[in-house]
Amino acid sequence: MARALANQPWRKANNQRRFEIFIASLIPLPLVAYISISQQLNPILSFAALFLPMQLIAASIVGYHAYGRRGVGDAVLVVVTFFFSAFVLILLLSVLSSVIIQGSRAISWQFISQNNVYVSPTTSLDYGGVGHAVVGTLIVVAITTIAAVPLGLAMAVYLTQSQSKTRNLVRTFTQALSGLPSVVSGLFILSIIESTHMGRSGFTGALALFPLMLPTVARVAEEALKLVPVDLRYAALALGAPNYRAFFQVILPAAKSGLLTALLLGLARVVGETAPLILTMNPSSSTSLNPFSGGMSTLPTFIYNYLASSYETSQARAWGAALVLLILVGFLFGLARFLGKNKSIKSKASK
Amino acid sequence: MSEPVQRRKLVAGPLSKGDKWFFRTTSVAAHFAFVLVALVLAFLLMQAWPVLQSQGFGFITGNTWAPDQKPIVLQLGPMLWGSLLIAFVGILIATPMAISMAYLIVYMLPKRLAKVFTTLVDLLAALPSVVIGLWGLLVFTPIAATWAEVLNTYLGWIPIFHVNHAENGFMRSPFIAGWIVAVMIVPIITSVTREIFSQLDGDLINGALALGGSRLSTFRKVILPTSSGGVVGGVLLGLGRAVGETVAIFYVLNLTMDINWAQLLEPHGGAVASWILARFGEATGTEKQGLMAAGLVLFVITLIINYLANFIVNRAQPWRKN
Repeated sequence: MARALANQPWRKANNQRRFEIFIASLIPLPLVAYISISQQLNPILSFAALFLPMQLIAASIVGYHAYGRRGVGDAVLVVVTFFFSAFVLILLLSVLSSVIIQGSRAISWQFISQNNVYVSPTTSLDYGGVGHAVVGTLIVVAITTIAAVPLGLAMAVYLTQSQSKTRNLVRTFTQALSGLPSVVSGLFILSIIESTHMGRSGFTGALALFPLMLPTVARVAEEALKLVPVDLRYAALALGAPNYRAFFQVILPAAKSGLLTALLLGLARVVGETAPLILTMNPSSSTSLNPFSGGMSTLPTFIYNYLASSYETSQARAWGAALVLLILVGFLFGLARFLGKNKSIKSKASK
Repeated sequence: MSEPVQRRKLVAGPLSKGDKWFFRTTSVAAHFAFVLVALVLAFLLMQAWPVLQSQGFGFITGNTWAPDQKPIVLQLGPMLWGSLLIAFVGILIATPMAISMAYLIVYMLPKRLAKVFTTLVDLLAALPSVVIGLWGLLVFTPIAATWAEVLNTYLGWIPIFHVNHAENGFMRSPFIAGWIVAVMIVPIITSVTREIFSQLDGDLINGALALGGSRLSTFRKVILPTSSGGVVGGVLLGLGRAVGETVAIFYVLNLTMDINWAQLLEPHGGAVASWILARFGEATGTEKQGLMAAGLVLFVITLIINYLANFIVNRAQPWRKN
């Protein structure tokens, strides 16, 4: 009966085959667990050397039983794919869960709102917090945004609305910028500071984030503008509107949610950047609202500074700050997801 | 008699004053991309020039970093090699995971689950590197150290898994740094690969299956060959990111100027970007200029890698052209 099915691959799996697959994917785990515990094997070794081959063999047997030789190929690919993908998810979940579990120990209202003026590495977690760093992050990122978003949007307009010959060149350079290592961006601003004798402040930190945010905004905004049907623009032009009015009154409203996505993804890109801020800003443990002079702390640099010390409370503070940062990033990211309904915008998110 | 037809010249292009300004502004803004790249190169070169001049080619190849010595010797060899080594390990780990993930999302999951997985992968891309570094140092390093120990015990006879002094432990090695880098570049490779997979001609795949191919043979002989260009491009994009990774590697790697050719489990290695961060605090004068020079070298390397990557990715995605 099962061999007969091998010649009819279009037929849906029947209950018997489902049962076989179920058994095959269930058996190896307890078996391997039993062997490795009774033989006192290293868990990693037993996983790699026992579980994987066993799972492959079990799946192959079922595959062969159901579909003949081609079933083996199916089984191998499915098992390998599931294994590797599960690994990616495990890594992701490990990062998220450890930040959430460890961070929630440190976090409290006082941790989010207070600053760190009288806090030493051993001060108990009941005192001090990341309030000054949250404020610093918001100020620095706001300055970067004010500069990078209009410019990135203008770039995207140039790439989509004009017919100029240098568009490909501009695109190439934007892509080159998006590969700029963040530490180099920091060094760049640092070299400007060195040669102009400007003071290190929140503003210089914002400058260092600017080259990182600009290409992200430009690329995602370009994708968003591309999605507006070109007929809309032609219709506006045919009705006698000049290009700029066609853009501001027709295309801009149509692409609004995509452009907001560009803004949010740009924010998510820079809000966690650490290296450029370490190079271009002085840390501070008090709340500072002045971005043009004096030190200023941000969430990433806060984590960086506290992780450097090996005291347990310092590490707890680092975890707490990481959780706050993660919530911030997750909020921006979720909002971008919510607004960016189109697939091709989303796929740009991680580039 | 008809009057001579007056020929009118067709004028293409912006006519109104407002349009002229509109296009002029956007054009200026767009060309700021050149200006920015040029500015970065110019300022770094200006600061780095004295060091590059005095150190010569040895800056890239040598393995001494002695800012206190007279005359000063600043050489970056081990760090450059370490950056490439770690990036290579990272890619070796990340590529199979990323391709599997892309295959799972595009070909195996129902639509709704596929969306969830896509979001999860993008979320991984959005994690700040300092958070990955924190996790890498406090959570992942002890785990990976036991993996390294197992590798060393059973495969120690292979030179790359050999360590000279096992009693030093297996932490802070290029192996662990490679894993951390892999975590950060998996989403990049996945999203490029996923996009390419999803644009492949479905008939081609169905045809292969109808001819009696299994999933495996279809993947190997149809999907992979048709999408290989884009996948390679995605891997190169990941490489660019891996070479420039700073903070996360800084935490999990023991940076030494003692060159580590390919002993992955040996607890020392190098990475240019992390070296800049590590030395920056104490650096003054000439050493600072040396770090600028290191940044310049790093930038040039990533520029080349990214240019190649984008060239390949763009060519593999003709549907993205407008």
